[in-house]
Amino acid sequence: MEQSVPELMARLDSLEASLSMATTINSEVFYWWCTALMLAIHAGFLAYEMGASRAKNALASGMKNLIAFAFLIPAFYYIGWWIYLAFPTGFTITEGSEAGLPWSEYMGPNLTDNASGIFYAAFTLFAATTASIMSGSVIERIRISGFTILALFLGAVVWILGASWGWHPDGWLTTEWGLHDVGAAGCVHTIAGFFTLGVLINLGPRIGRFNADGSVNNIDGHNMPMSLIGLMLIVMGFFGFLGGCIIYTGDMWTTIYNTPATLSAFAFNTLMGVAGGMIGAYLVTRDPFWMMSGALIGVISSAPALDLYYPGFAFLVSFGGGCIMPKLNDILVEKFKIDDAVGAVAVHGFGGVWGLIASGIFASGYPNIAGPDISFVGQLSSAVVFMILGFAPGYVLSFVLKAVGLLRVSEAAEVAGLDKAEVPASAYPESSVPAAFTNDPTSPTPAE
Amino acid sequence: MNTAPITSWEGAEAYFTFADKPALLVAITLVGIGVCVWTIASMAIHENKAYKDM
Repeated sequence: MEQSVPELMARLDSLEASLSMATTINSEVFYWWCTALMLAIHAGFLAYEMGASRAKNALASGMKNLIAFAFLIPAFYYIGWWIYLAFPTGFTITEGSEAGLPWSEYMGPNLTDNASGIFYAAFTLFAATTASIMSGSVIERIRISGFTILALFLGAVVWILGASWGWHPDGWLTTEWGLHDVGAAGCVHTIAGFFTLGVLINLGPRIGRFNADGSVNNIDGHNMPMSLIGLMLIVMGFFGFLGGCIIYTGDMWTTIYNTPATLSAFAFNTLMGVAGGMIGAYLVTRDPFWMMSGALIGVISSAPALDLYYPGFAFLVSFGGGCIMPKLNDILVEKFKIDDAVGAVAVHGFGGVWGLIASGIFASGYPNIAGPDISFVGQLSSAVVFMILGFAPGYVLSFVLKAVGLLRVSEAAEVAGLDKAEVPASAYPESSVPAAFTNDPTSPTPAE
Repeated sequence: MNTAPITSWEGAEAYFTFADKPALLVAITLVGIGVCVWTIASMAIHENKAYKDM
């Protein structure tokens, strides 16, 4: 068989075009399934927070999650994606960022753009995850309307500004300070945790959480098994989340900072991190709820350097996080009287800071593509930026909502239960929930 | 209503409905934002009424 040179060249061009398209489609498929897997995080938050609520508040807690999820999708479309593209250098708008505006030709079906939609989707799920971190802490006394406003601001504005600064190849925290945070411990977890702390200060504790002498009462949720399954679903969803944190180029994987990486590195260190956090939290609490929260702490502790750590060392970093965070939560509750119903400030806020500090200590010296090498000072300084970027808007916005009466439910509604007050459905219509499970001091206790 | 911005698939790029009418896309965005704001406001009104009825 003889073929002329032009024919062979044409055939080669055709093969190259096919290979390029296969690479593009592989990339789309990869992020499509990462996004789908991230939905497990929201199924998990739903189960976890409903279980952590007393029966009288179970549906209201779940409604809160569903509403935040539904509203965040359009909100991130309207403004979030543009913020990410617009502000990597700080507060000045980057040229070309108009591609992320909702009326851009790239923000809808476009035969020349296989990337915008799939990355918008993945980032939207990151956004919803960030907002959901706050959700559990404020259960049983926050107004759903006030929560929705806070969740939208956190999920569609605040965290994504932090991501633009520090989770972007041109983000100024990386180009100026050498920040390396491949698993988003800073822009997602630290920001969400400290935003939540700002909200909790204004929201106040649930009725009955603290006694007049300052001692603490436990307020148990009505379904611990459901919470544990929910937490395991969140851990499962984090494999989609962390998969979405790595860039598929066709030739090789890179981190979001364009440094070379492998998905194998993420697999090693995510699993070792989960295990380290669970074992650490078990060691110091013996509590299954904290053990599963420890899994999250473990992921977050190792997240900044998932691509770099020796897996055996990631296990130890995460073990340390799992040991420390439950104790920090105790200090928040007992000393500062912060009623964080699920410990999210410690798990995500302090856990994120620990992850950044640990990576500054143990992963310094690695080169970045744009910006100085990874350093302790760079990681610590970036952690401080994330803490402030989370706390300040959370405190100010919740303060304003409190001033206009949109933050907290009425006392009567809180005592009676939010489901009875505002949800036109019943969580357990065919069963009578004993007062012992509602923790309602005004209800009679069943005879023993 | 013909909403197609293309008359042929040959050389087509952005082909979503109204892609050739940017002013209309802005208007649709504003309506969408309005729907969200309106729903949150109705949520607050529902809560106020529920607390008053307690």
